[in-house]
Amino acid sequence: MATLLETPPSTDATKPPVNARLGWRRFVNGRYITLTVASILVAYLALVPVCTMVYASLQSNFLGIGGSHWTLGNYSHTFSEPGFWPLVANSFGYAISTAVVCIVVGFGLAWFVTRTNAPFKGFARAAALVPMIIPGVLNTIAWSLLLSPEQGPVNQALRKIGLPAFDVYSLHGMIFVQAMHVVPIAFLMGTAAFSAMDSSLEEAAMASGASPVRTFFTITIRMVRPAILSAALLMFIQSISTFDVPQLIGVPGHTYVFVSKIYAALQAFPADYGTVGVIGVFVLVIAVVGLVLSRRASRGAAVQTITGKGFKATVQDIGKWRWVGFALFVLFFIIAVVMPIAMLLWSSLLPGYEPPSLHAMHDLSFKNYSNVFHRPVLMKALRNSIIISLSAAIIVTALSAVVAYITVKTKIVGRGVLDTLATIPIAVPSIVMGVGILYFYLSAPLPVHLYGTFAIMIIAFVTITMPYGMRYVVPGMAAIKDELEEAATSSGASWLQGFRRVFVPLLMPSLLASFLYSMIVSFREISAAIFLYTSGTEVVSVQIYDLFRNGTYPVVAALGIVMVIFLVILVAVMQGLSRIFGIKQRH
Amino acid sequence: MIKLTGLIKRYPGRTVTANAVDGLDLEIPEGQLVSLLGPSGCGKTTTLRMIAGLERNNGGIIEIDGTVVSDPARRIFYGADRRPIGIVFQSYAIWPHMTVEQNVMFPLTVGRRKIGREAARRRAREALDMVGLADFATRPAPDLSGGQQQRVALARALVREPKVLLLDEPLSNLDKGLRDRMRDQIREVQLQLGITTVFVTHDQDEALAISDQVILMNRGHIVEHGKPQEIYTFPRSEFTARFLGVSNSLDGVATDVTEGHAVVRIGDAELKCAQAEGVRAGDEVSVFLRPESFRLSRREGMWPGTVEFSIYGGDCWDYHVRVGETLHRVRVYQEKVGLKKGDAVFLTPDQDAAIVVLRNSDAVPVVKTAAS
Repeated sequence: MATLLETPPSTDATKPPVNARLGWRRFVNGRYITLTVASILVAYLALVPVCTMVYASLQSNFLGIGGSHWTLGNYSHTFSEPGFWPLVANSFGYAISTAVVCIVVGFGLAWFVTRTNAPFKGFARAAALVPMIIPGVLNTIAWSLLLSPEQGPVNQALRKIGLPAFDVYSLHGMIFVQAMHVVPIAFLMGTAAFSAMDSSLEEAAMASGASPVRTFFTITIRMVRPAILSAALLMFIQSISTFDVPQLIGVPGHTYVFVSKIYAALQAFPADYGTVGVIGVFVLVIAVVGLVLSRRASRGAAVQTITGKGFKATVQDIGKWRWVGFALFVLFFIIAVVMPIAMLLWSSLLPGYEPPSLHAMHDLSFKNYSNVFHRPVLMKALRNSIIISLSAAIIVTALSAVVAYITVKTKIVGRGVLDTLATIPIAVPSIVMGVGILYFYLSAPLPVHLYGTFAIMIIAFVTITMPYGMRYVVPGMAAIKDELEEAATSSGASWLQGFRRVFVPLLMPSLLASFLYSMIVSFREISAAIFLYTSGTEVVSVQIYDLFRNGTYPVVAALGIVMVIFLVILVAVMQGLSRIFGIKQRH
Repeated sequence: MIKLTGLIKRYPGRTVTANAVDGLDLEIPEGQLVSLLGPSGCGKTTTLRMIAGLERNNGGIIEIDGTVVSDPARRIFYGADRRPIGIVFQSYAIWPHMTVEQNVMFPLTVGRRKIGREAARRRAREALDMVGLADFATRPAPDLSGGQQQRVALARALVREPKVLLLDEPLSNLDKGLRDRMRDQIREVQLQLGITTVFVTHDQDEALAISDQVILMNRGHIVEHGKPQEIYTFPRSEFTARFLGVSNSLDGVATDVTEGHAVVRIGDAELKCAQAEGVRAGDEVSVFLRPESFRLSRREGMWPGTVEFSIYGGDCWDYHVRVGETLHRVRVYQEKVGLKKGDAVFLTPDQDAAIVVLRNSDAVPVVKTAAS
């Protein structure tokens, strides 16, 4: 050989150079430092709110003046309260029904899009995903206007054709509004499951003489069952933990669920921290049990769908039914997107709330919008929201990339624990997260006071969105073959070089998706933010809630439309970016 | 030069006795191409990955070019990025987000000895030229076919002029015809550069065709080590014989042994076998015969038998012939009309091609000292 790139480190084999030793110094390199810092951060983020919540529930006088001691009193007190078990029943009824509705609608639409020859699929896909952009609090507000028992235009229309009005301020009202908001997530998970399916398994069933309907129920549904279960669980947790629907629709109708109960207990004077802790822990336990069950159910089955090479989910010809599928999409789009947006748009153009009519057309103006832009408080909230959600999204994306690397690509002891830690927040309802974080930073003797800063909000959003970031990055990481990194290492690249020049570019689509999702979720998040904001750190979602509670509907609507436009632009930019960074991959 | 001494690899969680690589000693002389051959799970890939530094050995010493790169007992370990190696993987491992040229330039732009972009580009072009892909430099890497990608991988492995080239089943993902061409090209480049090369494969034909020496491994041990023709014609153990496709074995007793020739009694018949190293009179032995080491006749021969099964293979016929209790696999070349099931035939073994090994010779791994 001519020249050698890497000089032999030492020809004297008995005396190895220092940096080849296996001692503690080998830990001082980019790889170990990065991995350690990320692991500690994840553990801290995941455990602090949960532990604080449990601690608070076991204290006689948490955050109170005077002494406090360990006790189970909060539990016995809360569980024996007459209102508690109806509260549990309401909460479960609400969350389970929402999950069922979402699965039926979301997976049904997903099936039409991925597995049938229903027309205009591009539109169908967009129609099912657009509702994601409407923040939950806006969706709730729009529907409470549309379906308000007396004034709501939908109810007026129903009455006109002789049908009973639909009272939104009820349990089924809550279920409906919440379902319209979370169906897109079920749709996304359904699309993924249906298109990852090997349809030769169905073809084998048909070739064995099973009818299409029988095949659908015995094979198709069985194969997507893991996805159905995990989607159902996610819908359940989202519903049981979000703030807007229970507060804005449940409370006026006196239908209390966990979230609204917690909020009420915190707003009371003196705040009942013990009860809040107990309910928080209760919700947490339910969520964790659900997560464990759905994981157990989906084990094994998930593997089958991705083995075998070159499979493709084929499309079925469903004849005339394809137009039925299309009609369902149009109907869904009108209900979930057109109506709420139109309602917001209409209200945003009027000086005060009026039902749509020709007469009201004369009062239309953009005054509310100029109002939004001239209120310093609102502009500040908008700025705060952007800063906070941008920071959270960047941190989540970087963190998920490193944690996904650890769990997928290394054999480090404890990587399973880290994976669990990064997933824990999915089982922690965001309200528990908000309260847990609030409690911790109020009570912990820290050198820096984070309460009332952006940092505490960023911490909350990072924790909440971390599992979702992981969801995007882990499969991307797993799809990168080990040899691609090994080839870099044996080419002489250090770990950081390999990570930056091989993993980051190959992961770019997943990283962008993770960033986009985290940013959108953080931007519209209210369930944790409502407990963490202080004057000076208000975010848009909280401002919308406040304005709405004060009855300032027109400005709320205008602010809402501005928010939606901002999110649409964000999504469009990210779509463009991912097209640029999208990598042509053949294997 | 690569020297492995007492190399051990354990995977945690498995039974303690089954080391993936169990005390391997091996010296690969400068400039040679040595194949590690064996069934899956025999430890060949693990050995290669330990030489590369992609796996840590639990015991033993690895020396590359006179430098100890790993010795856990003395707490020495150099990672793959600090060893003078180039590696080609079975799956090509071509980075899909780069062009062909960027792939090949990469090793020159990282690490401690990186060089300027222009110089790197020039050397990448030279390397691509060597594997016949100079015209593809600016193409996106995934646009290339499998064989072309594997050549890019070879260029990338060689571009920084390593001391050692490591090839991990580089041909397994390629189509049959392409495989032979790629194999020849690897050998050509290897001879031209005179680079010490380790070639891992489970395919005996590949190993025999390409290597200076073949090392046959099983269960973390070296079973046999020698030149391809030695190993092929003189397998020293049942494992080797079976792995190299000798499918007929007959149990017998050696009766008379002189100068490597042995007379073996098999039932009533006696066979004079030419190859019987290490066998003494009275030993229980197995006689191995390749399918093509028989003469088949309708009229006369040593053993009368019946055809039970026949397959036409283009240039040959394969038969299963039953002689008493034993089923022999027989291959006959250049025969126009095949025999049919039920035909009566006579089988005569080619005594010069019969291989005699001690029965149960696999109990003790037979290791021949490295011949340089």
